[in-house]
Amino acid sequence: MTGVVLYVALALFGVVTGAAAGLLGVGGGTLMVPFLTLAVGLSQHEAEATSLLVVLPTAVVASIVLRRRGVGDLGVALRLGTLGAAGSVVGALAALALPSDVLRYIFGGFLLLVSVRLVRDALVAE
Amino acid sequence: MSTGSKKVIVGPIDAQPASLSTGRARRLAGLDVRLIAIGAAGGLLSGLLGVGGGIVMVPLLVLRAGYSQKDAHAVSLGAIIPISIAGVATYGIAGKVHPWEAIALAVGSIGGARIGAGALANIDDRRLKLVFALFLFAVAILMLVRG
Repeated sequence: MTGVVLYVALALFGVVTGAAAGLLGVGGGTLMVPFLTLAVGLSQHEAEATSLLVVLPTAVVASIVLRRRGVGDLGVALRLGTLGAAGSVVGALAALALPSDVLRYIFGGFLLLVSVRLVRDALVAE
Repeated sequence: MSTGSKKVIVGPIDAQPASLSTGRARRLAGLDVRLIAIGAAGGLLSGLLGVGGGIVMVPLLVLRAGYSQKDAHAVSLGAIIPISIAGVATYGIAGKVHPWEAIALAVGSIGGARIGAGALANIDDRRLKLVFALFLFAVAILMLVRG
């Protein structure tokens, strides 16, 4: 993909990513990074950096909508995130230096267990 | 620990879920230490894997801090704001960001975020839990098979 087509495709993919992110409470990097590497041809690190830049306005807009609707607590969230930001700097620097294969397997396994647990919780509720 | 399904009102610090204010919950900078640990874990994995960190924080907020699914999603989105600022700054210094691609994606995602957050405000907590679990499951499989 090149030129205008590329940017239109990116914007359309952005709509899907933003909607998923707002509903799922995530930034959307999980969706954007594979798209940027596989469809756009960025390197892994470039895709991760670029996606983080998109995550920011996405989270801001979603947070504004949710604050207006009275869901969650933005004050707690921002303090939580400020503490997390320190961890994020450490993590980003480590990502530039490390091959992250092992971490990916551990993280994938963790997510698998959590998803099973959440399904169980949802089915037991009621 | 099975408070995940309960509707929990997340108010100012003093009105946090019961599980946070009971017993030996310790505080630092006005936040429960469990929330601090969740924020740090979310931030670390965010920087390391290039994700927003929500995928870590949402399950931890629900399973470890007693938040309702919906409030956990909202708090996670808010926490992603400072985390992604720090992440962008770090990667920006390293010269990895592709600004035009980011702008095109952001134009779409800003509109999408309004739709998604509006849906989050309306959705029933149990259905949301299932949708989120499905998402986690898909991400887990991708992580395990990729590369």
